[in-house]
Amino acid sequence: MSKNPLILEIKGNSLDDGPGIRSVVFFKGCPLSCIWCHNPESKKAIVEISFDSNECVGCNTCLKTCPDNALSRENPFFIDRTRCNLCFACVTDCPSGAMEKVGREMTISVLVEKVLKDKPFFDTSQGGVTFSGGEPTLYMLFLAEAAKVLKEKGVHVLIETCGQFRYETFMDLVYPYVDLIYFDIKIMDSRIHKKYCGLSNETILENFKRLYRKFQEGGVEILPRTPLIPDITDTNENLSAIISLFREENVNKTQLMPYHPLWQDKNQKIGIKPPSNSGNKMGEWMEGDRVKICKKLYTDAGILME
Amino acid sequence: MRTKNYMNTLTNWTLRLMAAQFNYRPSLQKYLNSTDGWTNFSIGLKTENGTVEQAIQFQNGRVKVLKYIPDHADATMRFISDDVLKEMVKITPNETINLILKNKVILDGNMAYLGAFNYFVSLLMGKRHQKMLERANRQEVKSRKEEYGITNPEFSEDLLKRKNFRLKAETIDPGVKHLTDPYLSQYSLDSFPRIKMLHEKHLHTTPEISAERPVLLTRWYRKNGFEKDTNGNPWFSEIRQAHAFQYLMENKKPIIRPECLIAGTTCPEEVGVLIYPDTTGTVIWGELGSIDKRVLTPYFISDKTAQELHDIFPFWAKRTTRAWIHEKYDYPFCQKIDERFVASFNFKLVSISHTVPDLPRFVNDGTKAMIEEVRQQIAVLDEGETDKLNTLRSMILCLEGLNSYAANLAQEAGRLAEKETDLKRKAELSELSRICRHVPANPARTLDEAVNSAWISWIGLLMENTNVSLSPGRLDQLFQPFFDKDMKKLSTKQEKKQYLEHVLELISCYFLRNAEHHALVPDVSNYLFGGSQSETAITVGGVTPQGKDAVNDMTYIFLKVTEMLSLSDPNMNARFKLGVNSDTFLKRLCEVNYITVATPSMHNDDAVIEAFSQNADKIEDLRDWASTGCVEITLSGKHMSHTGATSVNMVAGLEMALNNGYHPLMNWHLGPKTGRVENNDFKTFDDFFKAFAAQQKFIIDNTIALNNMSAEAYAYLRPTPLLSTAIQGAVQKAKDVTKGGAIYNTSGSFNIGLCDVVDSLMVIKKLVFDEKRISFKELKEAIDSNFQYNPSLHAMVLKKVSRFGSGSDEAVEMANRVTSLIHSCYKSTKNFRGGDYTVGFWSVAQHVAYGTLSGALPSGRLAYRHFSPGVTPDASASKNFLDNIRDVARLNPRNMDNNIAFNVKLVPAADDSREKIVNTMYSYVKTYFEQGGMQIQFNMVNSDVLKDAMANPENYKNLLVRISGYNAYFVNLNKDMQIEIIERAEYRS
Repeated sequence: MSKNPLILEIKGNSLDDGPGIRSVVFFKGCPLSCIWCHNPESKKAIVEISFDSNECVGCNTCLKTCPDNALSRENPFFIDRTRCNLCFACVTDCPSGAMEKVGREMTISVLVEKVLKDKPFFDTSQGGVTFSGGEPTLYMLFLAEAAKVLKEKGVHVLIETCGQFRYETFMDLVYPYVDLIYFDIKIMDSRIHKKYCGLSNETILENFKRLYRKFQEGGVEILPRTPLIPDITDTNENLSAIISLFREENVNKTQLMPYHPLWQDKNQKIGIKPPSNSGNKMGEWMEGDRVKICKKLYTDAGILME
Repeated sequence: MRTKNYMNTLTNWTLRLMAAQFNYRPSLQKYLNSTDGWTNFSIGLKTENGTVEQAIQFQNGRVKVLKYIPDHADATMRFISDDVLKEMVKITPNETINLILKNKVILDGNMAYLGAFNYFVSLLMGKRHQKMLERANRQEVKSRKEEYGITNPEFSEDLLKRKNFRLKAETIDPGVKHLTDPYLSQYSLDSFPRIKMLHEKHLHTTPEISAERPVLLTRWYRKNGFEKDTNGNPWFSEIRQAHAFQYLMENKKPIIRPECLIAGTTCPEEVGVLIYPDTTGTVIWGELGSIDKRVLTPYFISDKTAQELHDIFPFWAKRTTRAWIHEKYDYPFCQKIDERFVASFNFKLVSISHTVPDLPRFVNDGTKAMIEEVRQQIAVLDEGETDKLNTLRSMILCLEGLNSYAANLAQEAGRLAEKETDLKRKAELSELSRICRHVPANPARTLDEAVNSAWISWIGLLMENTNVSLSPGRLDQLFQPFFDKDMKKLSTKQEKKQYLEHVLELISCYFLRNAEHHALVPDVSNYLFGGSQSETAITVGGVTPQGKDAVNDMTYIFLKVTEMLSLSDPNMNARFKLGVNSDTFLKRLCEVNYITVATPSMHNDDAVIEAFSQNADKIEDLRDWASTGCVEITLSGKHMSHTGATSVNMVAGLEMALNNGYHPLMNWHLGPKTGRVENNDFKTFDDFFKAFAAQQKFIIDNTIALNNMSAEAYAYLRPTPLLSTAIQGAVQKAKDVTKGGAIYNTSGSFNIGLCDVVDSLMVIKKLVFDEKRISFKELKEAIDSNFQYNPSLHAMVLKKVSRFGSGSDEAVEMANRVTSLIHSCYKSTKNFRGGDYTVGFWSVAQHVAYGTLSGALPSGRLAYRHFSPGVTPDASASKNFLDNIRDVARLNPRNMDNNIAFNVKLVPAADDSREKIVNTMYSYVKTYFEQGGMQIQFNMVNSDVLKDAMANPENYKNLLVRISGYNAYFVNLNKDMQIEIIERAEYRS
């Protein structure tokens, strides 16, 4: 891939994406399309425009600027994306930052420079960089090079992946420069996986098993993680199936990520209608008791929580 | 000028009614009298537009109303409009002073007499005044609960639970000789029932105004004269002060508090408010009848105390630092600026003793040796060196006075021991009696003797010097040799454990003793310096004068006591030397900060020493620095540093630069004419920066002029011979420290609103001059209207310019340009003692007070809102806390030799482990220091908890918060300050 990837954001000072203080690089674009995706703006591998009604001061500068008449207060999303030609004139003129360009191309050297700024904090906290997204392995060559340069500079490299990638390419290019892999296991039933995530899960599960075996042979540590999505991934059937997989593969540690509904506001900003099948539970934070019940299924099976 | 109107008649009637009451009711008339005779003074009242002019004259027991203001009126209140005068009738007398603060009433003249006048008004109003206050109180409580508060009892419980889990130390520092777990994780307040009881009692005691000190001193001065002695010869000030001090110490009530392991108190009250009538004491004259009912920090006051103070205040009204300057320099311009409270505030008028005295001298050598040293100095004086002789004699008198007090304590302890039936306590009291017979006269031999010696000496120093920011310094260094020696005498493990527990109790008692006295907070200061106490700064850690790791057993003992008691005073500070002090030590500082929410404050030795090296050459002295008051730098025991001399509102200079020298809220054209935005006078950004620099220089020059007069006032009114024995150089030079006796002589400034100024200058530079997106006039119009009519411009200034703390090189450069400017303004002057000014960027609580007195700014900050505290970037600067850390670390320490305050609010996630919380904090601090950062302090609490505390203060009596440099109990803060802390940026940790 000759083109540089789109980066959504490099978020510094993250304490929830691996050990220590980390900088998280969010790639834009993902092979899956999970309906609950908590970074919906990272799904498409193209530049987008977003509108944040909370930031808007109602000055209407943008209405006058837009050459395509794509903006209207009547429109609940404000931007008519069928008309918008992504010229971003409105973003330049907007005084409040309510209109924003989502995703920007970044070269490896710029990315490395931005991450290395935080290196002193990695060093005192045993932190590092986390490649996340979107899906970082969508840009295998770029990812490999970035990981290589950072690792050579002494930065701990963690990759968060949905697992949908070509194993051999990953092993050849990226694996040598990775210290830790967070690997999502979402849904065990392939049909249901396809329904909610857009693709079936065979490649993902196969990749997981192969990487986990590598880990047991002294390879890179890998931690399977499961987002708890109400009535989709947190069902007894699904969790039991995951636990069976873990038993087969001798997995003794995992992480559960309780559901939160913050992504729904982000959907609105980039013009995505809420999914029709998101029920009441999708509008609320997952209750602590429900999380405890889920965790217990694992701990009863002798699997520890990270 | 308008002619007189009906308000004039109304005012005349009201004053005549008042006069009649005092003239015909003997019960009131008696208040016009004091031991000195009739209290004579006159107060003028007028409006700026001339609609009203009246005066009331208290003369030889008669009250007269005059239809003009006499030339010699002691004070005149100028009301900015008729409406303000009407407002004044509706409010309580104590609130009058707040109208002055808000510049709605301008006071010319002697503030003490305004207090007297207010007190007379409150006497007339009687119960009605108290009822008004009670109503105001209820409204305030209701507003906190309903407008801001939330209620969730789990929050306060969760906060308390922090104390239940404690980490163990991973390694042992080289200086730790006896502690097996330096974190002392096995102990909590519950391990010490006696301390727990004393602590509870302390937190539930309302402070009481203490009349002991001023009454005894005034009695002595009335008898022996102040300006002249009984023979009519002018007093040599040091000798006068020393005799008065000796009288005070001999007659002060010796008190040993129940269950306390330390003898002596600063006052007879359980928790007392000390009064210094020659500086601020008379400010509460107007509040004598109402101080127990006021909304913020109410004090208990007995009728006897109120009467005693009313009797002595007339003696002091013309002998305060303010009155002295007014008289001597004919009400100088610089004083007029100061008394408007907007551009600067001279703290020296309150206190001169923000310093760290040589406590080791009292403890290690004792007063006998100190007296002997002074005698030897006397012996080598040449004939005719009378001033030197008197200076040295005054020192001896003070040290003897201190010894008399210790002897009285010994006697009292003996008396109590005899009466005591509990055998354990009886033994403790006998031991205290023995200790007080030995120290501070002789060198201490045990830790108990050392701690008592330090405390008794401290009482002496506080009886002489205002209890604001006098700081004991590096107590872990002072006490460690005694602890080490005591421990070595013990052989069994059990004995050592018991002794360690005794030491934890002893140091806890020491903390509680330090917390027993409050600094006097007149109602006006509740708004200027809310929640601020004595600011007794203790410093632990760092390196020895030889550069070795100074962390020792006592360091960790002090930290344990800090953790257990969570007191707002003493103010705990810790030094950290990279490459020398251990990570174990730094992690412990972080854990204590997390458990207590807000203490200790942490300093980077390298940056502090680099900053201060411009004022001292000797590396050994620099390495022996200690925090003073809030965060400031004093070279222990050698340095009259008055680190909190004067504060400057840098935003006022900016507002004046935008208005050609005129200040809108003051409605006063005080500054130089530096150009008008409206006339397009500024062609480049540098043109404007020059105007800004000229206004800053004007303000700083004036505040320095006043500060130097104020220093002169001290040298006459209150030289400090006892303190002079405790700062090296004064005995050798035979010169009082108020006159330059110390080895090092600096005065410290604190400059407020840095980030608001920098962000504003960035907006002007970027949007007006570099990018030309808006015109300066357009921006000025928006500011003048508080951005009311131009929301898109408001959004633009807030969003489109990189702020300090966002990682912008340009903003950091601007910040260093501003600090460099301020630094050079101060460094081009000298203080009264011939020393340099030092320059600090911390704000006590004045970022809130000055904020309420400042209009809207180019940065987008709206009118009357608080500024950002200290050097802390505005909450909007960046979502990434690391950007804040990096930018603050890039501030050049050479411009900040009176230190900084960098306040950070961190909020750990609910399920984070203690290790994760501590390790993350540690990483922030360590990296910040590695990058050159000077000082950092955390508030480890989220806004919801603070809002619960606002609504349910009874559950949070012990909740500490860092304001800017100092700690306070959150529930004691004024509403604006509570909101400021709630609105601070919150970073996940």
